[in-house]
Amino acid sequence: MSELALELRGVSKHYGDLKAVREVDIAVPAGAIYGFLGPNGAGKTTTIRMILDIVKPTAGTISVLGAPSALDVRERIGYLPEEKGLYKKMKASSIIAYFAGLKGIDRKTARTRAYELLERYGLKDFADAKIETLSKGMGQKVQVLASIAHQPEFVILDEPFSGLDPVNQQVMEDVIKDLSKAGSTIIFSTHVMSHAERICDRILLIAKGTKIFDGTIDEAKKKIPNRVRLQADAGNDQLRALPGVLQVDAVEDDLHEDLWDLTIEEGAEAQQILQTCFAQGITLRSFDHNEPTLHDVFVELVGEDAREAQKR
Amino acid sequence: MRNALMVAAREYAENARTKGFWIGILMVPVLLVGAVFVMRWLASDATPTRHYVVVDQTGRYEDALQRRMDLRYAASAFSSYSSWVQRNQKEEFKGVEVDLESMPAMNLADFNADTFLDRLIEEQGEEKFEALIEPGGFDELVEQARPRLVETAGEFEVPRRFFRSLPLPADLGIDPMTAKPDEVAEALKPYLRGEKEMQVDGKPVQLFAALIIPAEVDEHFDPLPEGETESSGVIGDVADGIRALTGANQPPPVQYWSGNLADSDLFERLRGNLDRELRQSQFVKRGIDVGLVAGVQRMALPIKKLDPDKETGKEEVSQADVLRENAPIGFVYILWISIMQVASMLLNNTIEEKSNRIIEVLLSSVTAWELMAGKLLGIAAIGLTMLLTWIASAAAMLWYWASPEAEAITNLASVIFDSTLLPAFVFYFLLGYFMYASIFLAIGSICNTIKEAQNFMGPVMMIMIVPILTMAFIPKDPHGTLATVLSWIPLYTPFVMMNRAAADPPAFDLYGTAIMLVFANIAMLWLCGRIFRTGILRTGQPPRFKELLGWLRRGD
Repeated sequence: MSELALELRGVSKHYGDLKAVREVDIAVPAGAIYGFLGPNGAGKTTTIRMILDIVKPTAGTISVLGAPSALDVRERIGYLPEEKGLYKKMKASSIIAYFAGLKGIDRKTARTRAYELLERYGLKDFADAKIETLSKGMGQKVQVLASIAHQPEFVILDEPFSGLDPVNQQVMEDVIKDLSKAGSTIIFSTHVMSHAERICDRILLIAKGTKIFDGTIDEAKKKIPNRVRLQADAGNDQLRALPGVLQVDAVEDDLHEDLWDLTIEEGAEAQQILQTCFAQGITLRSFDHNEPTLHDVFVELVGEDAREAQKR
Repeated sequence: MRNALMVAAREYAENARTKGFWIGILMVPVLLVGAVFVMRWLASDATPTRHYVVVDQTGRYEDALQRRMDLRYAASAFSSYSSWVQRNQKEEFKGVEVDLESMPAMNLADFNADTFLDRLIEEQGEEKFEALIEPGGFDELVEQARPRLVETAGEFEVPRRFFRSLPLPADLGIDPMTAKPDEVAEALKPYLRGEKEMQVDGKPVQLFAALIIPAEVDEHFDPLPEGETESSGVIGDVADGIRALTGANQPPPVQYWSGNLADSDLFERLRGNLDRELRQSQFVKRGIDVGLVAGVQRMALPIKKLDPDKETGKEEVSQADVLRENAPIGFVYILWISIMQVASMLLNNTIEEKSNRIIEVLLSSVTAWELMAGKLLGIAAIGLTMLLTWIASAAAMLWYWASPEAEAITNLASVIFDSTLLPAFVFYFLLGYFMYASIFLAIGSICNTIKEAQNFMGPVMMIMIVPILTMAFIPKDPHGTLATVLSWIPLYTPFVMMNRAAADPPAFDLYGTAIMLVFANIAMLWLCGRIFRTGILRTGQPPRFKELLGWLRRGD
């Protein structure tokens, strides 16, 4: 799987003075599920649009499935945009067949696939319903199906989970897994870290148009310090003196005044700290050591930018 | 190309499948036919009978007026009877079809209803109509016509009178013949204002008008007494043996009282008949033969309209020529309506695609050019469907209502379709459509809502209204400065050249503007394509004009 489904080199996009994307390099191996993470306004959608050759980059080169423009291989690409919308007056099955048709599938096959997909993902009864009669979530599912009905090798899903209830989020995860099993390369962007964590092989973190991280989830987790949270009758200094502890922060919590976050050295074992606490007679009311989640990674790496973006 | 055709097919299907589209299309012929019926109804049934009284203190006019009004009524009833017979005639009695090509061009003045009726009375003789005035007057005529009529003909409904004179009310409290005209008017005012009502056949009706003719109104017109001349103390100036009174010497005028100022039909009729009666009586008083005068007045020099552009020996201008000359006005109108209608569809669904964000998915599958081409073609097909439906429904209606009128329209239609106007229409429709459609498409691409689009539509409408304003004038001076200048402005070429089409425009104008129109179309498609490509993905405020220029230059 050394072949690259997508490669971006030094890609930038400027809108006048606004630098939406700055010299981004991305390499997505064929068959990977690649998470595209970043706060609002980070440049995710612009990057995706450039990958699809809907907008031209100001600088840099893009290669999609070996072609210089996604339009050259558009029959092999599936795309679900961030903001969802469909022709309101069209039937669900017709829309799926229409978009598959635009991707080069012949009429008959397109129709058959439309019905198959609708049935497989629980929309059989709505196949001949007009889009305007469907709920928002159902419409969104139809749109996802429309973007993959031509069985693309390379799928780009921009925020596929937004607006879906938990059940349908699960269905969406299944769709992505099914696609991956069928051999497709998938890029999807999301705000919901748990989805990325469950599904992705690799993630790309982007903020303010700049790439911040690109790698596997394990690699990402190593990016942030190892932490232990404990509740103890002990002062800051006493905890700081424990072996392997780099930093101690009081957790701001109205209910508990005795909650502490301990940042521990890389390689240090949480187990070791627990034992030392016992040995030193520190009374622990709780001891919590969790692997950092992708959420922690996200907040740690781009939290500041995200808050700024929100203020803007 | 395959993609463009798929987009076109979807675009066509989406519009052609909606009920609204077909209702919108069929509304046009229905409205046109409806308008004809409504006009007819307004002219006949909707106008109430006008009741009036005449106070004739001279005693010389009332009977003549009544007789004249009766004759006019009888003549108009008779012409209703003639068309009733014509409509219900058996096939073998139907006359020869009207051939517009050989029928001399008619004079518009001949269509005036009153002139027509007067001529009918004169030609057929007053006696013929006298018999028809009374109720049951038509019975004999209907019986005579019966054998020629089809079984389903039914009864002839004698039209009602639109004007009806009433005897004066008994409770005026004055003697109308001797009282001063102003006193008579004063006594009648409560009736004219609707405060009191008149009785007709036991039913109350409102008095519509009153005509008061003062006793001395026309005496000065009488011939001068034997031996008197202008210099012998006669009041007023005398010219050609007729006195003209001025200033204080003028007799009191005839008074026409009516609260309704808008409907002047009765006034015109009464006035015309008063003058007619005055002249008739003066002829008699001066010993002039009335019949002779009438005969002389009927005299007319034979006159023909000829067109030097027509084939030798067939230069006479026929009714068909006149229709052909004026038909472009109708074509321009249809052209304008249909282009507007389909181009707005394009505007609406572009905005729909944009505001629904469908556009992004589309653009990941097709190029902006393919999308634009597909939309233009799809909606062009919709436009052609619309025109064909109009033609088909018109044909269907003519076939369904096979009647003399329908035959006349069929003749008219064949005159128009046989000419070169139809190919010209299709040519100008397509090129005009592509020009305006690309503008609308560009506008749609930069707007997120219809509301935003309306700001741009304002100026476009101002530009588009010009051909409608000039539509009626251009055929009168088809090669004048206005027509020529407008022809060379590509935005107006389709309409103005269509307008001039029947008048054989010079080859230079005809082909020159056509070539220019083709190039203008290409340029417009290119320009609007650039705007479309950039605008379609843009969100937020529509761009400023300066920004648009930037898009055109850079194309990013």
